[in-house]
Amino acid sequence: MRARLILLWLAVLIPLGWGVMKTLQNALKLFN
Amino acid sequence: MSSSFLDRESTIAPPGYNRFLFPPAALAVHLCIGQAYAFSTFNLPLTKLLHITQSAPSDWKLTDVGWTFSIAIVLLGLSAAVFGSWVERVGPRKSMFASALCFGSGFIVSAVGIHFHQIWLLYLGYGVLGGCGLGIGYISPVSTLIKWFPDRPGMATGMAIMGFGGGALIAAPLSILLMEHFKSPKSNGVLETFVTMGVIYFMFMMIGVLAARVPAADWKPAGWIESEHRKPLVTNANVTVDMAWRTPQFWLLWGVLCMNVTAGIGVLGQASPMIQEILTGRVTPSAAAGFVGLLSLFNMGGRIVWATASDYLGRRYTYMVFFLLGIALYSLVPWFGHLGSVPLFVAAFAVILSMYGGGFATIPAYLRDVFGTMNVGAIHGRLLTAWSVAGVLGPVLVNYIRQFQIDHGVPKAQAYSITMYIMCALLLVGFLCNFFMRPVNEKYHYRALSPAPAT
Repeated sequence: MRARLILLWLAVLIPLGWGVMKTLQNALKLFN
Repeated sequence: MSSSFLDRESTIAPPGYNRFLFPPAALAVHLCIGQAYAFSTFNLPLTKLLHITQSAPSDWKLTDVGWTFSIAIVLLGLSAAVFGSWVERVGPRKSMFASALCFGSGFIVSAVGIHFHQIWLLYLGYGVLGGCGLGIGYISPVSTLIKWFPDRPGMATGMAIMGFGGGALIAAPLSILLMEHFKSPKSNGVLETFVTMGVIYFMFMMIGVLAARVPAADWKPAGWIESEHRKPLVTNANVTVDMAWRTPQFWLLWGVLCMNVTAGIGVLGQASPMIQEILTGRVTPSAAAGFVGLLSLFNMGGRIVWATASDYLGRRYTYMVFFLLGIALYSLVPWFGHLGSVPLFVAAFAVILSMYGGGFATIPAYLRDVFGTMNVGAIHGRLLTAWSVAGVLGPVLVNYIRQFQIDHGVPKAQAYSITMYIMCALLLVGFLCNFFMRPVNEKYHYRALSPAPAT
């Protein structure tokens, strides 16, 4: 059950983290 | 896949099931359908299908392509309202599967439309089929989340609805990446990107379908005892979906959602030109794109932060904060623009957009407080028609009032001031709707003379 829980959360958080990182890279241009 | 696998009865969780397995299932669906917020990345490529590098006279016009997103948002509200009771009855697994089928096939039908250059197929695919996928997918996990987390309904629905905000953060760079990858002398890569995204999204949503579980009817979190002293407005009674929309409370909450969304959605759509025009010479187009990204981040973050905060503050006070702080910030924006302060301007809109997202994420828990858990998903579905109205009203107010001002000789930097004050007035209407919220009259309460419908 614990392994399934970790896998499921990773499955959704990895793409979300990638999207957040890409957006932040773009957002930083605002203050450069 | 047999129909029994999709039925609600097959999804009842066994004893000892970890309830934190359900939020990622809900997120898997919401992260996909949140792609809708990034549809604009396809707007320009869809106007260059025939001559690849530039628009030809026979290519689709930007205004024609723009209708696709509008149709999808209207269908989102309509399908959520129409299919809300069905979603409640069949449970999250079957409804998430229906959403995955609609959303995935919407991309494929659109790709066929792109191949034959038939815009009606784009409207039918992404607009109608995709829009139904959006509406059904948006409400499918909500009531189950509330049942899994009766102790923290705001946090639970905030987690899922955060995914809808976060979906655009993934979809925008993914679409650009795929279009670059598939670009060739014969294609600008949109057709192949639509097919690929249809398949990827369908498969990712299937993670949610496979993981979805509902709690048993008598299930409660371990050690949790329902408080005898409920907060004001929080009921332990239930109101059916057909009765709910005859109550003044439904329409007051409809007004609360509509005003909160109207105030945010117009700004979100016009953010890039707005910051460049108000802070003339201080913000480049590339920095303005960064501003749009930052607003999306706060839109997403506000969903989980504000919805979780509402579990402690109470739903009514949370919306009071949205409206009062919103009025204060919108009235200060023209002054920040006059000062030419980028940090103050950005900070004001970041907070405003966090409350826009927070408004979406807190409303299901508000509905649960006022109408009970029995039909909360279906009632939420009907309330989302406020989103459809706001989706038209918000951009119209921002765009047309700006144009009207410019046409009457107002400098571009000041053309948004009136709009900001109109937003304040809308938020005041929302504040009053929220202020007049009272518990539902007992005559509307459901009395269990017969088996409860759609539980």
